[in-house]
Amino acid sequence: MRKVFVSFLVIMVLVVGMAQVFIPRSETVYVAGCIWGPATSWNFCAPSPTWGTRQFLYLPLFIYNVAEDAWLPMIGEDYTFINDKTIWVRIRKEARWSDSTPITAKDVVYSYNLQKKLGMGPNAGWDSYVESVKAISDKIVEFKARADALNYFQFLTYSLTAFPAPSHVYKDLEEKGVSIKDWKNDNPVAQVVSGPYKLYHSDPNMVAYKRIDDWWGKDIFGLPKPKYIAHVIYKDNPSASLALERGDVDWAGLFIPSVWEMWEKKKKPIGTWFKQSPYFMPGGVILLYVNNTKMPLNDINVKKAIAYAIPYVAMIKKAYFGYGAQAHPSMVIDVFETYRKYIDYDLARKVWGSEDGKVKTDLEKADAILDKAGFKRGKDGIRVSPDGKRLGTYTLAVPYGWTDWMMMCQIIAKNLKEIGIDVKTEFPDFTVWWNKIIKGEFDMVICWSAGPGFDHPFNVYRGVLDYRLSGPVGEVRPAGDWERYKNDKIIELLDKAVSTLNLEERKKVYFEIQKIIYEDLPAIPMFYGAHWYEYNESIWENWPDEESPWWFPSAPWQDFAQSLPIIFGIYNRGKPQPFPAWMKLKEEGGMMVPTSKIFEDLIATTK
Amino acid sequence: MSLKVLKYLLRKLLFLLVTYIVAATIVFILPRVVPGNPLSEILSNLSRVAQANPEAIEAAERELMKQFGIGKPWYSQYVEFVTKALRGDLGTSISFYPRKVINLIVPVIPWTMILLLPATLVAWVLGNLLGAFAAYKRNTWMDKGVLTVSLIISQIPYYWLGMIFIFFFGVKLNILPVQGAYSQGIIPGPSWSFLLDAFKHYILPFSSIVVSAMGGWAIGMRLMVIYELGSDYAAFSEYVGMKDKRIFSYVYRNSLLPQITGLALSLGSILGGSLITEIVFNYPGTGYLLFKALTTLDYPLIQGIFVILIASIYTANFIVDFLYAIIDPRIRLGQEE
Repeated sequence: MRKVFVSFLVIMVLVVGMAQVFIPRSETVYVAGCIWGPATSWNFCAPSPTWGTRQFLYLPLFIYNVAEDAWLPMIGEDYTFINDKTIWVRIRKEARWSDSTPITAKDVVYSYNLQKKLGMGPNAGWDSYVESVKAISDKIVEFKARADALNYFQFLTYSLTAFPAPSHVYKDLEEKGVSIKDWKNDNPVAQVVSGPYKLYHSDPNMVAYKRIDDWWGKDIFGLPKPKYIAHVIYKDNPSASLALERGDVDWAGLFIPSVWEMWEKKKKPIGTWFKQSPYFMPGGVILLYVNNTKMPLNDINVKKAIAYAIPYVAMIKKAYFGYGAQAHPSMVIDVFETYRKYIDYDLARKVWGSEDGKVKTDLEKADAILDKAGFKRGKDGIRVSPDGKRLGTYTLAVPYGWTDWMMMCQIIAKNLKEIGIDVKTEFPDFTVWWNKIIKGEFDMVICWSAGPGFDHPFNVYRGVLDYRLSGPVGEVRPAGDWERYKNDKIIELLDKAVSTLNLEERKKVYFEIQKIIYEDLPAIPMFYGAHWYEYNESIWENWPDEESPWWFPSAPWQDFAQSLPIIFGIYNRGKPQPFPAWMKLKEEGGMMVPTSKIFEDLIATTK
Repeated sequence: MSLKVLKYLLRKLLFLLVTYIVAATIVFILPRVVPGNPLSEILSNLSRVAQANPEAIEAAERELMKQFGIGKPWYSQYVEFVTKALRGDLGTSISFYPRKVINLIVPVIPWTMILLLPATLVAWVLGNLLGAFAAYKRNTWMDKGVLTVSLIISQIPYYWLGMIFIFFFGVKLNILPVQGAYSQGIIPGPSWSFLLDAFKHYILPFSSIVVSAMGGWAIGMRLMVIYELGSDYAAFSEYVGMKDKRIFSYVYRNSLLPQITGLALSLGSILGGSLITEIVFNYPGTGYLLFKALTTLDYPLIQGIFVILIASIYTANFIVDFLYAIIDPRIRLGQEE
């Protein structure tokens, strides 16, 4: 009996000893800043699937590159416009699912019908702009724009960024009566994906993906360099930044205070996009939203005075570590060359009286505006409107714990008090703050809006100004126009901007919108929020940055597989590899098609 | 066991059941009183994704409202919560949709149990021994030393203590890993290298909890023992010439009784996890899950965690009551009067 027991023990030791599994460090890209809690699901239709699902596992037809304003054909190969409201997208003949089933037009059609049924997914809401999605042949899918809601931006977005679904897998599930909505797709063996990675391991500590070495795209794109991509689930920002500093993390999307100290003081092989301020590329326009339903806060003179009173430059430097530039009042991100043409510089200069058309902080001017409009100071120094209403006490709110924004609030409130507007800061929990915003129940908040995209600046204009996205105060409307600004002229212009193929006319519409923005100041653009992106070169090199800007967006958290090309372009330290040629524009021998070319092709159908 | 004891336990059980229902109701009400939006996490994430269209955000909002019945009147939500909970279904998490609440809690429970159960017990045993020892040697330098050190340690904020541990053992001496439950790159599995690695990662969080909790137990125990030593039976035993050690062993056992209640409460609340330990050492556990649930106002997850947590506290309480009935004759006899 004892013998049996001893030999059993020995066998156990051996079995257990052999079962160890490692992820080799040199073959793994470790990521931080994208998962802050338990993994949710790897179903690409889930409202917030685990990071990786729509980054490496499931791919859209095309991937958008912000830096070049161009589209990289992934699962899609090319497109043809049949007429100005119909596009055919051809799917690559090599494209197949990880179980070898070919990816077909039917998978796209199935995916669209599924997402419509679920009301969830990366392409949810497509039926607002797309009339029909049809399989013309095995490999050609047709998207038809809705003539009654013509929006070329949305039409193109939905046709180019469609995610095919493995319909054979989903149909099986449906037949078995599995609720697709609740399906987690968490079995690494059973996962059927279109991208070059599959789930490898997941526990409360980390999530890891493993490369599929016979991925269908390897002869077209090559294989991504890291064999594994892993994300340790850090509990807070400091522990994640420490891991980056120690070289345990290679690729991060984190807010790190005084990030330059990592290389200047601590001499670590760490970098961000720029070596100097602003260190990060812009990720979106951050605005001061002033509630347009509150008298007399919504008085244009008050809003104008606020715009002049915000200490943009000082605030960005002090509270934001200089991680961004002052936003252009036109709401157009002027950091990107491609967007500058949309700014009416003459008008901006005339209105704001500065060389680049940006608002210069000027408390005297702010005071003068209020004086002139008849807002007299009371005994306590706070102004009173001509009809006797005191300017305050108003609240300026951001979520608790967002230390950079909290400090900005304090700085702004101090300046506003100086010009006679009584403002107190308020830092509620995130959920409470967000609830106030989407219900329109706030005085002033700092909040984000859209960022770079091929539809910029329309995306910002729509999100900030389109009153069809909001409703009466108290009604929950999360999609936009949080400040409850209402202007029919804007609606008309927005609709014109998206339904015209005349690019000059579109530009003119943008100029007109800017005129209205300056007249009404629905919300006040403050600065460009940072596109958080850091890398550590201890293990992997050739990360894109200012000096070699070969791909942007570069942050690992980017959705719609927008930063997938990054892991094709990096290589192990000291072992340079040829740079993938496809990551260039078509005219330079690559694969990417500029947005301008797509519009040219679209316009050509009307002639 | 006599019928009386059984009756006593039955009454306790009934009382626990009633308070449990009240507690569960409070857990249901409290998060809903907060004027926040439980869909915040999901909706704001959608809004931040550059390509998320307004239509997609609105579609998701409608769908999730329906899914979670958030728009429904509170009483129908309550009925749903209770009927489902009775069937053992704690619902689906909102922030970590579509994961079931139970599937979120279960995987982190082992980590919390493995860390906190031994740590709490060891701290309790060591603390009591130390406290009793100090009381035994009362008014000597040893007593004063134990008392002072215990007072200081029990007053040090835990996160600070944790960081000192990290700094000293992890950075200065560099002998122990400072974060995570196992090394980066290892996949947990039944292998010796994993167990050894996990053990190394275990030392710092474990010992920091033991050290920080020990002081409190020691101080309590010291006081209890000194009090008991002043009682009649101790004085009487001394007069009749009983040996010091003998008296002390009686005194020790009697002083332990209130400490057992304290231990039961600590053990019961273990499932709540230790948020600060988990954050300081980046260790997985229920504390962080509860923190996430509360900050995202995830109604089902908050309810789920508390339903389990309160149940475990009550169970621990009940077991203690049960043990008391056995080990403390005063209770047994009191019931028989």
